[in-house]
Amino acid sequence: MAIPSSTDFIDVPATQRLDNGLVIHALEARHAPVVSLWVWYHVGGRNEVPGTTGMSHFLEHMLFKGTPTHPKGDLDRLLARYGAQWNAFTNEDVTCYFETVPRDRYEVALELEADRMRNALISSDEVEAERTVIVSEREGLENDPSFLLGESLQAVAFDRHPYGQGVIGSKFEIKLMTRDGLYAHYRRYYAPNNAYVVVVGDDRAETLVAKAATAFAGVGQAEIVASPLAPEPPQMGEKRLVVHRAGGALPIVQLGFHTAAASDPRAAALQALAVALAGGGGGDAASGRSSRLYRGLVEEELATEVDATFGLTKDPFLFMVEATVRPGVAHSAVEAALLRELQRVAEELIDENEFARVRRGLLASVAFPSDTITWRAFRLGSLLSTGAAPSIGAWYDALAKVTPDDVRRAARETFVERSRTVGHFIPEAG
Amino acid sequence: MIDVSRRTLRNGLRVAAIPIAGLRSVSVLLAMEAGQFFEPAGRPGVARLTAQAMLRGTTSRDARAWSDALDGLGASARLDVGSHAAVFSGQCLADDLGPFLDLIADTVLRPALVPEALEFVRSRALADLEEAKKDTRSVADQTWRELVYPAGHPFRTRSIGDEEVVRTATIDELRAYHRTGIHASGSVLVVAGALDAGRAFEVAEGAFGSWDRGDKLDRLLRSVDIDGARRRAVVVPDKTQADVVLGWPGLPRTDPRFTKAQVANMVFAADTFASRAGQVVRDELGLAYYVFSTIAGTAAQGPWTVRMGVNPENVERAIAVTFTELKKIRDGAVADDDLALARDKLVGELEVGRESPSGVAGMVLEAELFQLGDDHLDRYPRELRAVSKADVVAIASELLPIDRYGLAIAGPEITAAS
Repeated sequence: MAIPSSTDFIDVPATQRLDNGLVIHALEARHAPVVSLWVWYHVGGRNEVPGTTGMSHFLEHMLFKGTPTHPKGDLDRLLARYGAQWNAFTNEDVTCYFETVPRDRYEVALELEADRMRNALISSDEVEAERTVIVSEREGLENDPSFLLGESLQAVAFDRHPYGQGVIGSKFEIKLMTRDGLYAHYRRYYAPNNAYVVVVGDDRAETLVAKAATAFAGVGQAEIVASPLAPEPPQMGEKRLVVHRAGGALPIVQLGFHTAAASDPRAAALQALAVALAGGGGGDAASGRSSRLYRGLVEEELATEVDATFGLTKDPFLFMVEATVRPGVAHSAVEAALLRELQRVAEELIDENEFARVRRGLLASVAFPSDTITWRAFRLGSLLSTGAAPSIGAWYDALAKVTPDDVRRAARETFVERSRTVGHFIPEAG
Repeated sequence: MIDVSRRTLRNGLRVAAIPIAGLRSVSVLLAMEAGQFFEPAGRPGVARLTAQAMLRGTTSRDARAWSDALDGLGASARLDVGSHAAVFSGQCLADDLGPFLDLIADTVLRPALVPEALEFVRSRALADLEEAKKDTRSVADQTWRELVYPAGHPFRTRSIGDEEVVRTATIDELRAYHRTGIHASGSVLVVAGALDAGRAFEVAEGAFGSWDRGDKLDRLLRSVDIDGARRRAVVVPDKTQADVVLGWPGLPRTDPRFTKAQVANMVFAADTFASRAGQVVRDELGLAYYVFSTIAGTAAQGPWTVRMGVNPENVERAIAVTFTELKKIRDGAVADDDLALARDKLVGELEVGRESPSGVAGMVLEAELFQLGDDHLDRYPRELRAVSKADVVAIASELLPIDRYGLAIAGPEITAAS
């Protein structure tokens, strides 16, 4: 059974840096007449201070409210007419906007993004109208017990680093966000010299870059004042928290361990560790059932679902492990079972057969999404934004080089009691 | 242009292969007519239990050996029960198509269906049902179904099933359902991606050639009509957002009006930016974070629903403006630009959907499953563009009455707007 080699990925992007500081990366993907354009801004939850947490996310919503040249709905309707997929997201590190459009509509997407990079209107009326939408988004998340517990755990795990603040902000902060504050945040962070473009699609990479360069060349840069973030001080002992709420039926156990940044040489091994623990499936998926946690907890009827994630982030974040507790099982039994599995993977070398499965799943997790143009662009952009790798192929190579010993070492260094935060969600009768 | 090669195996399994140059993987969809529509009357949940139990080992491999083999390929796979079909979906690397289809076939043709498998999936299903009682989207969906579909109708219950059925199902019942419901006749296998069509047919024959033809099942259902406005609000404690489902019984996927209904749906509420209700509820008034509508593609009148997540104090207003937009459409107040936008968006989505092998496979599967014709994907854009304002008004008037509907709300106590 052949595994694709990294050379199977047409993945060394064509790159150009414009005079205004914007860097453009492009890849060819010729299997469909489609282009996916992504603009990444280096602003997210990490750039916020207590009291106005959620500002980057709020601002993301306001970028859909028009510019003097293109009033609200103008280009939106045009993109909709082309059948485009377009949206945006904000996380702890970045804010990102994308459009996937038919090839011959690429220039429309470029026009939209170049225009709103510096010219968004952000009117008071629109801020008020959108505020209730964002509150509604927040309320929808609050309906999910896993979100509630995870948000609290993140806040407890970080004493200093803004990663503890999360992304969306509290309902109170959303309600108090001002138009002027949002506009200042926009002018401070939205500029070509604080952004980069990733485009993947059905044209020569050089052509894709050239068209983007033409669209963005006239966008003026801003003075970006770097604000270095001090690292999170080492955690000195286990932390624990409990969230009680009637709004959930099944108990949940979450464990968060301080871990490495995406640019850390151990990042690939940590990704392999997550696959060894929980596979790539989750939920009702048939795949991932040979993973350690599925076998140790779901097969043993302690949990209904398990998950383990190592996210690619600019600064060290958390390696998260989660289990939804089966009815009639105690939190303590599930927590103990999770810790047993983590200890086992930290102590014993994964055998050859199991590691072959882990490796296969790991490499497939790069190959499969790359066959979708939108996901290929997202994957490249996230690797670049976090410093994980300069290309998809380079990341693939890093994953391919991981050994069982690397995984054991990563587990041993990560699953340490003193850097652990344990969260229990306890549903209450309601 | 999607290049589809088709072959029907001797046992009746229809296979469609779509080679796409430049990819490394293959997307696989195997649809069996074993969804809710075909479930034994009065036993909602049996189809899903059977599907889940099928993944717990075969006559030659226990559950552990089967998942070792699947994960050994690095393939992704799942088996879901929908309103019409049970669909095995997955993705594998190009060289693994043969072994991947062999594993799927092993599960589909030769599941062990031992009592332990049922007990394992039963306890999981009961836990899922318990969770669903506290999940506002699930509660709203189930409540809406009970408002609209009569007792015994296959769509009255979500595919997860009825708690009593899940508690009482027997392994013999699952085996019988597998014997009568999971067969080659009426099933469709679609493979799209890095493949050669001839080779794909060979490996499909090798994997599924011995599958029993079986008898294609059919089910006659009475037409579902709602006699008035049926509304129910369910309080789910300690939630901050209400989920709302407003809807009507739709129309079968094979109904010649279905394409017109899709355009009407897009004009009405399918999308935030391209649809009237979406634009007003979210973009103009800021009443909801999400609002969208869908029409289920099934052999019967599947749900045609508008769904939204709303703060409790905005629920009544969001519902009222949604009806206002619907009324405008029924009254013929459809702007030419809104209609053109809806048509163009649906056509454009077909093109953009080609960006992924799973997108291509999904489009082909719908056409094959409902036997919409080998030229469906060529005709379909033209048919969408041919839908007129009169068609949209007629569909909305006939199928989306404003005095006969189901409306379910689940979440906190609804409060008056401040």
